[in-house]
Amino acid sequence: MEGSDGSEQSGSDQSETQRRRQLDRLDREEAFYQFVNNLSDEDYRLMRDNNLLGTPGEVTEDELLSRLQQIKDGPEPPNSSPSTETGEATGGETPGGSEDSSNGDTLLDWLNTVRRTGNTTRSGHRGNQSWRAVSQTNPNSGDFRFSLEINVNRNLAEQQAAAAAEGGQETPEAPGAPGEVAAAGVPSAAVPAAGVTAVGVTAAGVTSAAGPAAAVVPAVRGTAAGVPAAGVPAVCVIAAGVTAAGAPAAGLTAPVLLPPAVPAPPVPEAEAEPEPQAVSMEVEEVVEEPVVEELAVIVEPEPEFEDAVMQEVLPEPPIPAPTEPPVQSPPSPPQRRAQRRARSPSPEPRRTRARTARSRSPLSLERLDGLPHLRHAPRPVPAPVAPAEGSSRTRQHVPSRQSNPEYEALPAAAEAVPAAEAPSAGPPEGEAAGAEGGAGGRRPPTIMLDLQVRRVRPGEYRQRDSIANRTRSRSQNSNNTFLYESERGGFRRTFSRSERAGVRTYVSTIRIPIRRISDAGLGEATSMALQSMIRQIMTGFGELSYLMDSDSESSDSNRGAGTPAEPTETLNNPEGASAPVAEEPPVGAVSAGEARTAERDLEEGLTSGPAGREGGVGGGGGGFRARPRPPISMEEPSSLPFLRLAHFFLLNDDDEDQPQGLTKEQIDNLAMRNFGESDALKTCSVCITEYAEGNKLRKLPCSHEYHVHCIDRWLSENSTCPICRRAVLVSANRESVV
Amino acid sequence: MQRASRLKRELQMLSTEPPPGITCWQPEDQVDELRAQIVGGDGTPYEGGLFTLEIKVPERYPFEPPNIRFLTPIYHPNIDNAGRICHDGLKLPPKGAWRPSLNISTILTSIQLLMAEPNPDDPLMADISSEFKYNKQLFVENARKWTEKHAIQKNTGSLKSQDQSSPDLKTSRKRDSVDTLEENKKKPEDAKRACL
Repeated sequence: MEGSDGSEQSGSDQSETQRRRQLDRLDREEAFYQFVNNLSDEDYRLMRDNNLLGTPGEVTEDELLSRLQQIKDGPEPPNSSPSTETGEATGGETPGGSEDSSNGDTLLDWLNTVRRTGNTTRSGHRGNQSWRAVSQTNPNSGDFRFSLEINVNRNLAEQQAAAAAEGGQETPEAPGAPGEVAAAGVPSAAVPAAGVTAVGVTAAGVTSAAGPAAAVVPAVRGTAAGVPAAGVPAVCVIAAGVTAAGAPAAGLTAPVLLPPAVPAPPVPEAEAEPEPQAVSMEVEEVVEEPVVEELAVIVEPEPEFEDAVMQEVLPEPPIPAPTEPPVQSPPSPPQRRAQRRARSPSPEPRRTRARTARSRSPLSLERLDGLPHLRHAPRPVPAPVAPAEGSSRTRQHVPSRQSNPEYEALPAAAEAVPAAEAPSAGPPEGEAAGAEGGAGGRRPPTIMLDLQVRRVRPGEYRQRDSIANRTRSRSQNSNNTFLYESERGGFRRTFSRSERAGVRTYVSTIRIPIRRISDAGLGEATSMALQSMIRQIMTGFGELSYLMDSDSESSDSNRGAGTPAEPTETLNNPEGASAPVAEEPPVGAVSAGEARTAERDLEEGLTSGPAGREGGVGGGGGGFRARPRPPISMEEPSSLPFLRLAHFFLLNDDDEDQPQGLTKEQIDNLAMRNFGESDALKTCSVCITEYAEGNKLRKLPCSHEYHVHCIDRWLSENSTCPICRRAVLVSANRESVV
Repeated sequence: MQRASRLKRELQMLSTEPPPGITCWQPEDQVDELRAQIVGGDGTPYEGGLFTLEIKVPERYPFEPPNIRFLTPIYHPNIDNAGRICHDGLKLPPKGAWRPSLNISTILTSIQLLMAEPNPDDPLMADISSEFKYNKQLFVENARKWTEKHAIQKNTGSLKSQDQSSPDLKTSRKRDSVDTLEENKKKPEDAKRACL
């Protein structure tokens, strides 16, 4: 009897707490409706478009207010403070891209317009910091890419010169690039200091946007920088290299390949480039993985930068890099492609697109190619492969360019790196590089962030989804590539690090099923998780340490003799991970004899990594995850810009990416009015709540009305009236046409 | 969450004016789960039976349809062995017809209707469906047997026993629901195809 009593009590307690929770929710919900109804149209739109509203009852009114405040204030800080000291010099920020705007505009503002415009390229600069952002949207596929590259330059003159050189060689875009470079200087640390963003649209858009982005990147960065950038264009990469923090951030998410290129200027270039390719490949892969809508954040720290950071940990000699590392890296990308194709006889259109996109952006490709070629030359086996790629992608131009940019870039990078993160380490490397290179060894630090959102085919991630949590890590010693995958709560995180030719690259990717994004309000658990992840990425502080650790470990192991697994791997069997793909073993053997195969393997490994994960990694424990990450507060000044970016992405992808749903524009075109007491229909059939005086209602073409926030949410994913099921879109289109 | 307030209102409606032949309630300790019972319609093979359903309300409700399945075994062309129901109202567009203006009550009513009027052209259970189509007598006979075996209480006081037995049913169900769910994920196409 006692037992029963106890259980009853506990039961009642539970229900009591639940009841309380529900009551709280209801209170908050009431507050939410009040809040929403009191919003002006503009404010409402602003908040909705940024997904700050969440779902009713999810957050308190105060929180909503603060969010509104933040979003209102947000845009200013980034642009306002900066002065165009350098920017003027560079002045031409307009990338070849489709749409450009003046420098004065804030990045955020631009971001907010991105969605509507579709493909956009934008650049700006202030101080010694420059940024370039490219966004592309494919309305048909719902793919969305955004890349941001920020460059910080210490020496404007150098950069400018470099830019000029580049520009001359390359094209119109060049001018923009230089400007960016110069602008990039922003040191502040704030994340973006020197960033240029390039956003590439996966499928279609690439051409214009991607092109510019690519172009920009190369120009800005020069070699090292260029590499990542180049890679980026294909995908979307936001480079957030500038600050140390940024780098770490990047590290957070994904795998990064950091080449130790720094030391030897010439070598570094080659190395850097190849790596970038690799990166790009990965990115593409990510993109290619068509399945779900993914949000991938790839951060590629510039080699130098990373080196600087990493120096302490991994001092790989640049020397070796030229020969060996280059080989692996350059070939790998092509091989990957090849493999993928081979694997999937029916390559998804997207993949193809991605590839085409790359090819389309000649500038970036060229550079990359050129670099690879250079490297290849030194290499024994790989050479053939590389050329092939190069040819396919584009032509090899610009060795000279590369050199120039590289030099410039290098210095900048060096500077930035040291300043931001490891002052001591970074500078030395940069110097060393400079000395070695003689050319100038400085690369501007560049941070690239690449976000891409695309739809995944239903069922693509099914397997993955079925497994709630998965963690996987794999290491490929032969290739010096490490891949960590973790999956939790529907998010897949990949972190990979590769070292080639003394260049390390880190790439982190987060894949989030769009549904989660769109469905979840900000407050919901998933979105929260996402946010925190992005924050981490953006801020990167937590990751940094993580990266560093892993790097040090991995580097040690590598040096030691290609030790197999990194610390993280503990849980997972490398073999198991690789097994699905079946790539690795060959690599090692091949390496000497058949570079191509080896490379392919590597690439596959990289690529497969993701695939493998998807496939179902049985082993995943959670060891990888275990590493504690320091909580990052949004408020951190340095992290703010990135956070905003992240926010932007998070919040915005839902509507656009849902093919079935209406776009925000379409929704906004629907009639809206305030509820009056005299109205006949008094209940919103979505929330089954009676309208209150002053409620904002939206009237669909079929005359059915709902709460604005209720119907907006439905229409963002669907296109029919909840009551009569008439298509809203068709009529909306007609209206617009009329 | 919108779900909370909507559920609250819906439960009020369900208790104040329940659809005929349908009861729905919220188990004590469940926030996102409801139970419902549908009385087998007169003149159907399910007459006299009391069919228990499990309703899971997703986080995104009402923007996503509720998850409903039969806990009580039922012999029906559109309801499989795991109790899953092939009903377009339970799916999102474009394949389904769920919309937020529907609610638990209307959905349960439409399930009640589906029980009375199977849709053999959109079968989930192919064999039962063909039986329904080409040998209706046999179908009715089988359905009656199942009803008698699983859904008819021996005596009036058996409501309790029903409740007591349901946990077992539940657990066993859940056990295969795990399997079936996996299956579900792997072969939703099948289900959908079957459902189409």
